[in-house]
Amino acid sequence: MIFHVVKKELQETLRDGRFKISTAIVFVLLTVSLVLTFNQYQYNNAQYIEAQKNERSLWEEQGEKNPHSAAHYGNYVFKPKSPLSLIDQGVEKYTGISIFLEAHNRNEAQFSNASDQTALSRFGELTPSFILLYILPLILILIGYDAYTKELEKGTFAILKSQGISNTKLLFGKWLSVLIPIVTITTLLFLFGGLILSNTSDIGVFNWEALGVLYIVYLIYYLILTNIVLFISLIAKKSGVALVSSLVFWVLACFITPKIASNIADSKYPYPTNQEFSKRVAEDRKKGLDGHNPWSEEAKKLEEEVLRKYNVDSVHKLPFNYSAYRMQKGEEYQAKVYAKHYSWLDEQAQKQEKVYKSTSMISPFLPTRFLSMAISRTDYQSHRDFSEKAETYRVKTQEFLNGLTEKNSRYGERYVASANAWKKLPKFEYKPPPFSQILNSNTPMMLILIVWFAVTGAVLFFINKNH
Amino acid sequence: MFSYNFKYELKSLLRSKWLILLTIILLTLVLFAGYSGKKKVNKRVFDIEKANNTVKEQDITVLKVLDSIEKGFVINQNLRSLPTNPMNIGYSYPRVAAMYPLETAFISTGQSDLFTHYVQPKAYGDSFFFNHAEFSSPIQLLFGSFDLAFVIIYILPLIIIAFSYHIFSLEKENGSLKLMASQPISIYKWILQKTMLRFFVLSVIVVLVLTIAFIINNYNFVENLAEYLYFLLLTLTYILFWFTVVLLINIKVNNSAKNAVSLLAIWVFIILIIPAIIAQAANTFYPIPSRTKMITDVRALKDDVSKKQDKILDNFLRDHPEYASNKKQNYSFWHKYLASQDLVEDEVKPLIKSYETQLLKQQQWVKLWQYSSPAIILQQSFNDIAGTSTTHYQEYRTQVAKFSAKWRDFFVPLLYNNEKFSTKLYKQLPTFEYKKPKYTSLLFKASIVLIMSMFFLLITRILFYNKSKKGTIIN
Amino acid sequence: MIITRDLTKKYGDFTALNKLNLKVNEGEIFCLLGANGAGKSTTINLLLNFITPSSGKAFINGLNVTDNARETKAFLTYIPENLMLYPTLTAIENLDYFLGIGGKNFSRKELEFFLHEAGLQQEAFHKRVQFFSKGMRQKVGIALAIAKDANVLLLDEPTSGLDPKSSNEFGELLLKMKKNGVAILMTTHDIFRAKEIGTHIGIMKQGQLKYNFSCNDKSLQEIENLYLETMSLKDNLL
Repeated sequence: MIFHVVKKELQETLRDGRFKISTAIVFVLLTVSLVLTFNQYQYNNAQYIEAQKNERSLWEEQGEKNPHSAAHYGNYVFKPKSPLSLIDQGVEKYTGISIFLEAHNRNEAQFSNASDQTALSRFGELTPSFILLYILPLILILIGYDAYTKELEKGTFAILKSQGISNTKLLFGKWLSVLIPIVTITTLLFLFGGLILSNTSDIGVFNWEALGVLYIVYLIYYLILTNIVLFISLIAKKSGVALVSSLVFWVLACFITPKIASNIADSKYPYPTNQEFSKRVAEDRKKGLDGHNPWSEEAKKLEEEVLRKYNVDSVHKLPFNYSAYRMQKGEEYQAKVYAKHYSWLDEQAQKQEKVYKSTSMISPFLPTRFLSMAISRTDYQSHRDFSEKAETYRVKTQEFLNGLTEKNSRYGERYVASANAWKKLPKFEYKPPPFSQILNSNTPMMLILIVWFAVTGAVLFFINKNH
Repeated sequence: MFSYNFKYELKSLLRSKWLILLTIILLTLVLFAGYSGKKKVNKRVFDIEKANNTVKEQDITVLKVLDSIEKGFVINQNLRSLPTNPMNIGYSYPRVAAMYPLETAFISTGQSDLFTHYVQPKAYGDSFFFNHAEFSSPIQLLFGSFDLAFVIIYILPLIIIAFSYHIFSLEKENGSLKLMASQPISIYKWILQKTMLRFFVLSVIVVLVLTIAFIINNYNFVENLAEYLYFLLLTLTYILFWFTVVLLINIKVNNSAKNAVSLLAIWVFIILIIPAIIAQAANTFYPIPSRTKMITDVRALKDDVSKKQDKILDNFLRDHPEYASNKKQNYSFWHKYLASQDLVEDEVKPLIKSYETQLLKQQQWVKLWQYSSPAIILQQSFNDIAGTSTTHYQEYRTQVAKFSAKWRDFFVPLLYNNEKFSTKLYKQLPTFEYKKPKYTSLLFKASIVLIMSMFFLLITRILFYNKSKKGTIIN
Repeated sequence: MIITRDLTKKYGDFTALNKLNLKVNEGEIFCLLGANGAGKSTTINLLLNFITPSSGKAFINGLNVTDNARETKAFLTYIPENLMLYPTLTAIENLDYFLGIGGKNFSRKELEFFLHEAGLQQEAFHKRVQFFSKGMRQKVGIALAIAKDANVLLLDEPTSGLDPKSSNEFGELLLKMKKNGVAILMTTHDIFRAKEIGTHIGIMKQGQLKYNFSCNDKSLQEIENLYLETMSLKDNLL
């Protein structure tokens, strides 16, 4: 019985000129977006590999140099592209790709794509995630909005009911037939994407598992939307009303709620301006030890402490180069100051995230958006993870460099390290968190999505029973 | 005919509760957008003022110290940080080079969430590397802001579509069209009047609602009347454009359900797909050179320069004999540093410039192709009116770079001539004032949208007459 | 007065109407009978210039319909099969709108008079028409004809879907209009009503007017036989 319903509905959909045209357009758009993002991906990847190679060779070929000069010379670390950024580029456009690591300062990632582009890029981009998140729901609405209203308008509903089909079976049939076209398109896209990724050699850690989970997230998103569209079609009396209501929902969920959420998040938990933030850091830094300033009170305190500890009366008599020691202590203090301010920033970000999470109750678009980015490793969290790991590496680098001077020279000497010293600094290898960790930290979002499905499903079922 | 059309169309609209619903929705959206836009602007002003106040406070202390020194008092301060040393002033007491928001800034967020609105250039340091990026949550940037521009560009067309997607087809489907067509009137004129009437009604509501938002935001209508009027004019031509599209589809497709689908497809294309394609094309044709390459290049250059600082200073003094003092003096670290920095800056300039040039080329591309979608025209115009366009920020960067050079050039001669900084010199410190750039005439842009609408009307008319010849309009 | 001369409408190879010659004088009711697709509605649509003829001519009050579409509409009234009005407007407002749009202004008193003449009950004048029955909506249409002082009335299946009482009332109205010198052309499937109120009957088949006779010439039984003959299954499938 359900089979008959599904068959008839699918036949209607497939014979509909509107559906044919829109699927054709969606296929063209998907292909174009996949090709575009893949090209971009390969270009960025090539750049990344080259830059990393150049960067390291520049570092290693500094020649003879004072280690602290090398610390000021600094090094750059680059964030590798995640394979699934092919599907969802997330916030990557707005976060930089490289971080400059130097002595004394923690720098933000620089040069985001967005600031190098015209205002037009803010309209949106032709990427697979754009189509998955915005356009496919629209197609779903166009397929399903009149699932029930058309039967009412053509008067076929009474005939159908008089054949003795149960409400539930009819609903299930309609539900399946709205979903099938959308699921087919999505499945094809993911299969194709997976094939591209698994056949490209210089790809990071691509696993089918992540792609599978991403696929499931989008499926749940479409399940929720199907529930809502059918619900509207059930309670509406006219196709026109059903269409307009579904569209209102689409606009609210996909366009208005995210923007309002971001407005609320920003005004409730604002970020400081760049200048303001550096000022705060600078003020805190002034209060503590500065490796370049031996005259400050803090420096004097440290000197006394060290002298007491080693029981000598002059820094010249210490078994190591005291100025490098002080430099390292200063470095440690500054790192602590940065850690404090960045963790405050992190808190602010997490508070903002809470706002997004609570608005996820209004829009199923939001949990899908966040999960999609998280699984693709292109969300804010993975950017922060990268920037944290880069900072750890920076601190370690400073320790290594100051250690060179400290161990190999005496106070007052100008130490010049040999040309091969730089090679000994371990390379920065960014290891993204394992997939299971990403899944764990995103369980709440996943739950919200599932609750959305359960609630809309239950409401649909209940309304249908009493229809 | 017109007066009857007007009277009864209005009556129908009022009775169907559509108008009330529409007004409430618009009022809510517009007021919220206006409110959050203003909030952002206020924060921007507040941040700048805060920075300005800090500078003022610092200045008072510095002036006191300078005054005491000039009067011969002994100052209990580290010699290295005395304000009489010009480089101390140049480095530790920078001015605020701010980009104050325009009155109209609340209209469109534009690029204002990406870039900083004040910087404090110092007499040394990498001025060419000036980081203009603002600290903001990337999620916020991804979702964008809910501003008036968004309501007008994205939501208003949807409201028009929902409001009128079956303005003609419903008459046909309901059957009233046949009776109407048997009256001694031109059906084309009649439906055109009906459409224009709705355009008029919606325009009145939109103008009212927007004006309320402006009034709430304490808009200075006297001083910035032109911007307000241009804003309204652009919005109205945009509404007109969408009504002509609605009419065209009603005549062409003439089936309510299909109308809705076609209109939505057009909405998606004009507002989402075309801008994405043009942006993509801009990136493909004028790619921004690799930033990673720039980073490595600049560092290699600096490395090179720092190795030959002494030689560089000699060359520098040869080029600038005015700085070479006759008295035998010891050139400090500063002398060498500044001379080499000049060199680095000269060398890096073309590289840095290539980014600005590419961006400029991209913008020119967008400027040309904006006419492919009224949504782009409107977004660009709103950003222009609000002073938040790419051009505005690019102009600001250029002006800051100039100011930065001016600031340094103020102190460099003092350094080389071993002059001391004084209260007299304080009064001559350069200050920054942002001047907004010129942009394409808004009247021109509005007339382009108007021409598009007229073009659609013409097509509609031709279609209508072709169809009525075939007899497919009424049957 | 309605006259058609060799009026023909073709859609590609398909002939919807073939050389129709028809004349309806003032004070006559011409009833067009015929199966669905026989060309009845095509005739009406041609007379209204909703479609243009492939050849032949149609005249209303002596004016060629194709060349004077708007002028001819000034003195004709058309009541489509399913007459629909603007649901949120009242009966009197609908009447005012349709008249006003054609350039005819009437006072409220006059409008009420027309509705009264058309037989609409007083209470309904100021009610919104969204709950009106078909019969009530048709009365508004008749009021339109009265107000326009139309001397040509085109009716498309006016009695289909009406209950017997309304159908009867409607017949009375038409007879009244006939008496006032209106030329009425109506398509119908209802041979009893046609025989009862009509002055002439035409029976169409496949775009051709097969029979054209005065009502008084033939008995109801004869008419029915002719009607059924034109409906023979074999021909209609062609």
